[in-house]
Amino acid sequence: MTGYLIRRIVGAAVVLLALSAIVYGLFYAGPSDPALLACGKGCTPDRLAVVKSSMGLDKPLVDQYLSFLHAIFLGHDYSTGPSVQHCGAPCLGYSFETDQPVTTMLGAALPVSASLALGALALSLLLGIGAGLVTVLSRRRWLDRVLNTVILVGYATPVFLVALVLLIVFSADLQWLPFPTYVPLTQDPAAWAQNLLLPWIALALIAAAAYARMTRAQTLETLSEDHVRTARAYGLPERRVITRHVLRGALTPLVTMAAIDLANIMTSAVLTETMFGLPGIGHTLVSAVSSTDLPVIVGVTVTAGGVYVLANAVADILYAAIDPRVELA
Amino acid sequence: MRRISVLSAALALVAAGAAACSSSAGHSSSGTPGSAAFDPKTCQGGTLEVLNQGSISKLDPARIYTSGGGNIPSLLFRTLTTRNRQPGQDGAKAAPDLATDLGTPSDNAQTWTYHLKDNVFFEDGTPITSADVKYGIERSFAPELPGGAPYLRDWLVDAANYQGPYKDPAGIAAIETPDAKTIIFHLRKPEGDFPLLATATQFAPVPKAKDTGVGYEKHPVSSGPYMVASFDKGKTLDLVRNPHWSSASDPLRYACPDKINVTAGLDAAVINQRIATGTGQDANAVSTDTTIGPDQLAQLNSNPALAKRVARGEFPATTYIAFNPKVKPFDDIRVREAISYAVNRTTAVNAAGGTAVAGASTTFLPPQKALGYQPYDFFPAGATGDPAKAKELLAQAGYPNGLTITLTHQADDANNFGPKLATSVQDALKAAGITVNLNPIDDNSYTDVTGKPSTEPGASLQYWGADWPSGAPFLIPIFDGRQIVTSGGNFNLAQLNDPSVNAEIDAINAITDPAQAQARWGALDAKLGQQALTVPLFYEKDVYLFGKNVKDAVPDGWRGQYDLARVSVK
Amino acid sequence: MTTTIEAAGAAAGSGPPAPPSASATRTRGALWRRLRKDKAAATGMAIITVMVLVAVFAPVLTALEGQNTTSLHPELVDSASGGTPLGSLGGVSGSHWLGVEPQTGRDLFARLVYGARISLGVALGATALQVLIGVSVGIAAGLGGRGVDAVLSRLTDLALAFPQVLFAVALMAIVPDSVPRPLILAVVIALLGWGGTARLARGQALSLRTRDFVAAAKLSGAPPLRVARREILPGLVTPVLTYASLLVPTNMVAEAGLSFLGVGVRPPTPSWGQMLSAGTTWFRPDVMYVVVPGGALFLTLLAFTLLADGVRRTLDPRNTEVAP
Repeated sequence: MTGYLIRRIVGAAVVLLALSAIVYGLFYAGPSDPALLACGKGCTPDRLAVVKSSMGLDKPLVDQYLSFLHAIFLGHDYSTGPSVQHCGAPCLGYSFETDQPVTTMLGAALPVSASLALGALALSLLLGIGAGLVTVLSRRRWLDRVLNTVILVGYATPVFLVALVLLIVFSADLQWLPFPTYVPLTQDPAAWAQNLLLPWIALALIAAAAYARMTRAQTLETLSEDHVRTARAYGLPERRVITRHVLRGALTPLVTMAAIDLANIMTSAVLTETMFGLPGIGHTLVSAVSSTDLPVIVGVTVTAGGVYVLANAVADILYAAIDPRVELA
Repeated sequence: MRRISVLSAALALVAAGAAACSSSAGHSSSGTPGSAAFDPKTCQGGTLEVLNQGSISKLDPARIYTSGGGNIPSLLFRTLTTRNRQPGQDGAKAAPDLATDLGTPSDNAQTWTYHLKDNVFFEDGTPITSADVKYGIERSFAPELPGGAPYLRDWLVDAANYQGPYKDPAGIAAIETPDAKTIIFHLRKPEGDFPLLATATQFAPVPKAKDTGVGYEKHPVSSGPYMVASFDKGKTLDLVRNPHWSSASDPLRYACPDKINVTAGLDAAVINQRIATGTGQDANAVSTDTTIGPDQLAQLNSNPALAKRVARGEFPATTYIAFNPKVKPFDDIRVREAISYAVNRTTAVNAAGGTAVAGASTTFLPPQKALGYQPYDFFPAGATGDPAKAKELLAQAGYPNGLTITLTHQADDANNFGPKLATSVQDALKAAGITVNLNPIDDNSYTDVTGKPSTEPGASLQYWGADWPSGAPFLIPIFDGRQIVTSGGNFNLAQLNDPSVNAEIDAINAITDPAQAQARWGALDAKLGQQALTVPLFYEKDVYLFGKNVKDAVPDGWRGQYDLARVSVK
Repeated sequence: MTTTIEAAGAAAGSGPPAPPSASATRTRGALWRRLRKDKAAATGMAIITVMVLVAVFAPVLTALEGQNTTSLHPELVDSASGGTPLGSLGGVSGSHWLGVEPQTGRDLFARLVYGARISLGVALGATALQVLIGVSVGIAAGLGGRGVDAVLSRLTDLALAFPQVLFAVALMAIVPDSVPRPLILAVVIALLGWGGTARLARGQALSLRTRDFVAAAKLSGAPPLRVARREILPGLVTPVLTYASLLVPTNMVAEAGLSFLGVGVRPPTPSWGQMLSAGTTWFRPDVMYVVVPGGALFLTLLAFTLLADGVRRTLDPRNTEVAP
């Protein structure tokens, strides 16, 4: 097991490195002039020169990438004309467009995305697993069919459509909830939850559908397995069979998947964040894209990739730890 | 003035400042809801919420490009003079702000002398001196702090190559400060409009001791009624009262709310929705860069309560097609005339959002008296264009079977000269046998490409607004041959260098009677209009919603928007 | 939300290798007949067929209606209200079957059917590319030696490590406007999403390579490529097909999402995602502008999901689910 652990972690580190190299190369060796893009609007030849030298864009690409890595571990000083901005480790770059280190921007965006992801995930797991189990275990055919249809519909709907409908119906028409603005948890927990309710529901409705389907499939599969039949043959009460034998096998893969989904929502809930105006990671990226702020684009994608790689590694380790059938290849 | 993209990270505060207004006859309406009468002496209290689209990325007075001092910037930065902040024609004038009057011209308006008021202080209690005003202006020349209006470089004696106080501590000799209360400007030529230029944010005082260069904008030292409590770049700006500001020295700003919270980066539809619905804090909400949307426009007839919360004004600005006569086939005036006949101003206005927010225009000057507007329509296209006449002209020019051209435009619709408008032009010209290929350019690089004569496309969509309500800033950068800049930042896209036009401009600049000057600007505009160097499409109307609790949201005659320094939420 | 689907595929690949079911040996004809009998799958197939036909025959359909995607009709919208279409249901009439667009007055039916070309085209193209890349990499990893497998598996991990939507947004931002956008959209979506297919293919290849018939082929001296083609590939058809039918809706949502954010196809090219994005401002004055593209998108996604479910049900005899 420890061998697997080490190999997996090393593997993750390698992947992360490769990811950062690819991202850096793609964007900085791309078709547009990175100095011009980083310099932003109102760029004069003087400022361009400052940007170019302080980002080291006159050096070969490999050197640039190495200093990029160096900055992540040890920080970097960017000269912005008369003053020098120190960007402490981990320094993911400096945005000349907004005059702040990318890390600061991400630091502000991360809690928002994390709040969104955690709440949405909890809600979707609750709803999804519940619905999935009901469709399999309930005796009532009509409930089964209705739920299946609802789940199917939820699965097939794009998230921005759901978000739009929710916003118009609950905020504008019925006015049950205020238009979402982000209130930090530490500032006012009640307002934090109230404002995030609509985004949570929007994401959860669709994710729940996916979880419901998976729960259903996994439960059905587990139900037909030998150890369950054996337990039943022994005369164990059905309830015991379900809770001790079926659920564990059925739900384990879901739980590990949840780790990946957490990372996914955090990094990819771009559409939801945009629709609800939540200043998370996705929203930061979209603003950076509309002003083509290259350091932010690169910083965000590398971080997002990193979170993702980490989550995948954690999920794989969890899966290996919980399910003895998995071969530790 | 270059249009500021409401989505642009760079100049959003300018957008807040950019919508000046000089309402034309009978246009301005008071937006005050019919509740308690408004009294500036008892209006103090409450928190104003400002909901904006564009992000707040510049708070440095040297970098902000405003017309009349701007809306949000004017809360922090007092200038030598400011706009008169009244509705209607009265608003299209300057009024003293830090100065005691509009300035004393001498030497045939080539020298301007100002005296500062007594008892004006920065937020930390230090008195504001003329040296601070001079330093603020010098900072705006620094290449490390790009942005702002370009006029001073041209107008001040020997200042064209000044590199800013960081590189050149000697300063600008053309600005004299004989004592702490007096400041004198020496100009290269007579400029009767100097008091109007002095409303620009570059004229805000900056204390040298507190100047931290590029980092200054993190907490700029305020001279206005409010100061920065917190500034999260790009997202929020919270203002609280400046304890050292007194209304005695500043009769034009009422400064009613105790606090002002600006939230940026919101979606336009959401902003309008929130202001219209007005739950909770949104009842105190306004916006400085988001005009009314179709959802609310559609409700105005059936919702009289909402209809009372609409402020209508006009900032003088024109959206037009600009030709580069150095590029074929636009060197032939008949081709330019044909296009002028072919355009469909109905679809163009629709592309901008309909008749509520734009009006069809056949003149380059927008319909404002202060600019000297005179109506003319040399190429009558009617409401939907005259393709037959266009075809005739094309045949005369040697294109009996039509023509293919390329139209350059912005890649998104944030500033109303993007794909929607381009499609309208394309569709209209098709009927005249002209095939239009569209060439979208990213908003951020648009002016870089079109503003450089060597890369300037043959036909492009452009926007131009009035830096102050006069024909001079509207026509000079566009048509004065001496304003052509080859290295970039050029606004004379027609690359016109006609000595008679240049001479006429100089002659009008020397006139001190505004009415006379207006008549001459109008005549000049008409004369230029005959050459079809541009095809004006529409002028701008500014229609903004304001919250249920907001009072005195009256658009001023300069910027067309309600003034945050005068609204109340009590 | 792509992950739960992605993970499903990945779990299928990294979990215990699925034993080859008896269905893999059934004839194609029998499978097809079973699929058609499954009501849900049949409905799904019918809808997809209609959509594809609509997309293919878009020019014919718009000619029938007598409209096109570009002509502006300012007389059909109310300029004073910002451009709300006149008439009921967004301007539905005999000459404009689904009404007109706000502001421009362009025919909505024409834009919808041409938008189908983009949505379906990009989705199907991206899926085809993903399958191509994924299967190639997966089989090579599964059949090759440990070294090859290690390298390719890490490559697959890398592909799976990119948060799709975020990267797609970032990548589309730096693509110059001269490149045809539908094409580059399909390529970008494909490049970011072939990982799941690769894992699936590798898992299957690994399980099949130990089978007798593969060993026999190898012993008889068949070259590895032929082994791959004749022995492994047929066994892959069914799982890959099932997975691919789930990929199409994901890719369709990806394209719609990217166009919604403004980094997909550029106006005035019609795209369902873009129409939805524009529709968010018009929801109340003209609800048709959201309902029409939203409905079309939803219907197509539903159809593919039904089909995928049906395929899975038909091909896996162990599955005892009741059809909804």
